[in-house]
Parts: sequence; C-alpha cells; structure tokens
Amino acid sequence: MVNLTDDEKRMLQGEDGVIPQVCMQYLVEMCQVAGAEKLVDLDGTGDMHTPGISLSQHYSFTFEDLKALAESGAQFKVPTFANKAPFGELTPVHGWQHCHMRSYGGQYHDDPEFHKKAMHEEYYTLYRKMGMMTTFSCANYLTMSFLPSIGQHCTWFESSQIPYCNATLGARTNIDGSFATCLLGKAPYYGMHITENRYATVLVKTERLIQTDLEWDVFGFAVGEDVGVDVPVLLGTAKPTTTQFQKLNSAIHTGGGVSMYHIPGSTPEAPSLEWALGGKKPIRETIIGDKELKNAYEKLNYHTSDVVDMVYLGCPHLNVVDMMRLARKLEGKKCAVPLWIMTAPWLYETAKNLGYVKVYEEAGAHLMSGTCPAAMGGVPEGVKNLAVDTAKQAYYITGCYPDDDNKLQVCYGSTDDCIDAALSGRWRGEWK
Amino acid sequence: MKKIRIHGRAEFGGCVEAEALVSPIPLQGFTSVSPMRGYSTERNHPLFKVPYTGKVLVYPSPRGSGGFAAFGVGPMKPAAFIHTKNSPLSVLCAIAAHVPSMTDFEMDPMEFIETGDMVLVNADEGYIEITKKSNEASTSPEENG
Repeated sequence: MVNLTDDEKRMLQGEDGVIPQVCMQYLVEMCQVAGAEKLVDLDGTGDMHTPGISLSQHYSFTFEDLKALAESGAQFKVPTFANKAPFGELTPVHGWQHCHMRSYGGQYHDDPEFHKKAMHEEYYTLYRKMGMMTTFSCANYLTMSFLPSIGQHCTWFESSQIPYCNATLGARTNIDGSFATCLLGKAPYYGMHITENRYATVLVKTERLIQTDLEWDVFGFAVGEDVGVDVPVLLGTAKPTTTQFQKLNSAIHTGGGVSMYHIPGSTPEAPSLEWALGGKKPIRETIIGDKELKNAYEKLNYHTSDVVDMVYLGCPHLNVVDMMRLARKLEGKKCAVPLWIMTAPWLYETAKNLGYVKVYEEAGAHLMSGTCPAAMGGVPEGVKNLAVDTAKQAYYITGCYPDDDNKLQVCYGSTDDCIDAALSGRWRGEWK
Repeated sequence: MKKIRIHGRAEFGGCVEAEALVSPIPLQGFTSVSPMRGYSTERNHPLFKVPYTGKVLVYPSPRGSGGFAAFGVGPMKPAAFIHTKNSPLSVLCAIAAHVPSMTDFEMDPMEFIETGDMVLVNADEGYIEITKKSNEASTSPEENG
C-alpha cells in the first residue's frame, strides 16, 4: 500500500497533465516493487541517463508531449544533470574523430553524420529549457559544481556514482535517477533514504594498508564480491584521495552492488567505528587479505599474451589531477600503440587550456570525453589485447564480445603499468 | 513428489510455474547480459551462455550497473525471478520485466532450489513452491505431499 499526498493523488489522476501522470504511475509502481510506503520529497540533486521518452518498458510518453511540457515552462524540480553521453549510441562528446570503431548499431563513431545524430540535440534543447545541465559524464560530480550536502535526498543513477553520493558525500540516493524522479522531485522512500539502512552490517578488515590507486581499485572489487548488496565498514586503509574514491566507488559497485560503505575517520557518516555500525555489533566480519587481493587482481586480468595493442585510461572519467599527471608522464614520449584517455566533457576545455591535449597529441595519444569503450560497443577492429587501470572497464569490456566467447584479452594493472604498455606495446604489470 | 513451499515478498505480481535456472553467484547486467540472446555474457560466470528464456531465474543478489534491468527486457526474458537479497537493481529489473518477481523469503530459496527443479512462483499470494527434479528429500519448512 503506497500512501500518497493529495497533490500526488491529483497527479496520478492526470490533473497536472499526461507526463506528470505517467511519471507518477511509474513511481507508484516502483514503490510497490521496492516495498516503499511513500514517496520522499527530494532536496538534493538528480542524475539521469538521457535522452528518451520511456521510463521503462511499460511507461512512456511521446516526443510531442515532452515538447509541450517544455514549452509550457515546466522545470525539473531538483538541479538535474545528464549522465554520460547521449544514449543509446554513447558516442564521445569530444574526440569522436579519433574513434574509428563501430557502435552497437554498427555505424562508425568517427562518421560526422552519425555523430550529429547521436548527440540527439532535439531532446537537449528541451531538457535545457527545463533546467537540465548536460554534464554528460559517468563522474559528473567532478563538474557539477553543486554537490548535495550531508543528509540531502537525491536521485542518481550511474552505479559508480551511487556510493559516491551515499558514502563519500553523505547524501542519500538509491539507483533511481530518471525523468520521473527529477521532474517531480520525488523518489520511493526505501533503501538508502532511511537512516537505519545506512549503518554498516559487515566489518571488513585488511592485512596490508590499502593506499595506492591500484590497491584501492582491487580492494573495492574484492569487497564488492564479498559483501554483495550489504553495507560494509572498511578498516585498515589510508585516507582515500579523490581519484581513489572514484576507483573504490566504481569497483565496489562492479564486484558487488554496494550503495553505501563507511571508512571511519574518512567518510562523513563514520566519525568512528561505533557510529558506522549504529552502535550495534556487525552481523559478519570478513578479511580482504593478501590472498583475496591477489585473487581479485588475477580475476581482473584476462590475458595469455603480453602483447598489448591498445590502452584505455578514464574509467570513471579522469579528474584534472589525473590528467596533469598523465601529461607529465607522456611529455616528450611516443606511444607504440593507441592510447585513449577519457574525461568529463566540461573538463575537456580545461585540459586543453592547461596544455595537456597538446602533450597527449604529440605523444600519439587522444583525449576524449563523455563515454568509454564498453559503452561505445567495444574496441576498434583488430584490437586483441586491451590494457586498462580500472576494475569496472576490465570486467565489462569482455561482455561486448559474447559471440566470440569473450576472446578479447584484458591486461589490468596500475596507471603506470598502462602508460608503460602504451609506450612499449608490452604488458609488464604484476601484483606486488 | 515432494513439494517445498517458502513464503516471501512479491516485488511484481503474477503466478507462473517453470523450470528453475540457478545462478550460484550474483548476476551482473550492462555488457554482462545480452537480452537479445537471452543469456549471461559475463566471463567466467557459471551461467555464461546458458539460456534463461522461459525459466525461473534464481540468484543470490544482483551486482553492478543499473543495466541489470536488461535481464527483464524483451521477449527472451525469464518467466520469473527469485532472489535472496534485493537492491535497487532488482527493483529496476522487476519494473522492466513485468513478470512474477519475489524476494525477502522466510528461508533462503538458494538452499532449496537446484537447476531443473520445477518452481511455482505465486507472487499474487506471496509464496514459491518447489518440486524437486529428484525425489531426494530436502529439509523443508513446509512439505505438502
């Protein structure tokens, strides 16, 4: 039974128009499926995959309805950001000219006609009129410049951003960012919106201090595989940097389905272990020790050959410090194999102004924005062995080749291992 | 034939009986499932390329991207979903699929269901009923027959 306010009932009956009615129908169904008794009024921000006129297979409206809504002056009720490049082509916003590879639909990403169509500007003209900020990034918290504060109720969607919102920022979201939640400023009240569900139930210990970028990434994947959808509290780590939070959040929601975790002393809802556990004892304790880390590292590596023929960096999209470090390491060097670097579109111009794009191009590398190979449909034809530095891309990229029995090989390791591979064409990474 | 009945919470209603396909480990969506082909494309997964179309897909919990909903998309989707633990990922899947989907059971269904068992998923009345493919008795909360 979903308890609706009088305003919500009115919307459900269609008195506010067809789109609010469809959105409310969708949210009521989501409440029923999730076991939520009511909707919560959002006071944070929204993050949604775009564009589209379908909320699900069963709830949709027409483009003409959307146009009429936008022209009527309707606004998204919360500050709303577009996640990743436009679906379903997910073509790069910048740097597409360098991507001679087929999209999922079979067209080439470097075809100008395809690119123009794939940006779906007809939708974004309307969305922007309604207040959407088209950040187009899986790490759009890097460029939002307006982050939710502790305790604010949000509606985000990108899996790597869910723990960023909940654990890193202390705001509250489930995986439900959509046109419906952002337009109405409401979301089903369950899961991470409820304080009780945010406390840790699994205590995770380590044997080594987790402190390098690679250790955080491997650790995140291993923790996710161990705890599944539960909330862990992580002990025995250093204080993560922004890059390490990015890696942890994407890896922990790849190895598992972790929406929330705590690091006592680092994350906002865990000033201490006791706070993280809500004053209770953990239901379970587990150790992600050296053996578990090595197992995860080996699982993320998927290759028999050390001959690398492409390198990808930028999952999640790189922040400005990552790009600066990469520029310093590539300066005056020449890549032996293609090196693709991906950032958020609003950071592309920043990288250009700081001189990084020039350094990359002179080294034979390309900076792009807004997407990633797994989202774009795979890797260019002929690439047999891809080197990456994040668990998420390492794990998903092989799924692009089901008819080839996942034959694409993946070398996974540190960013320095990947730079070495780009310059030498060889993989020399190993777990230490 | 022994039948085992376990009560749980319906995510999406309906009633269907079909053969079970059990994933011993979590399932993952996005590129790790192909709704057009009707099977998991996750490397090294025990259900890699094992068709789930028309089956009762049983799994411990979802993981990964919001693209998990793809398990519930299109004509190749399973007949029903049963999972021990839920998350917003299973919510998105149930909303996409509109087939019986259940979770929050009184006892873990993973301990009772094996691939090939017949499973009645009565999400309208809040229970599943398992008919073992073999006559080997399982410790059951409620046996009818």
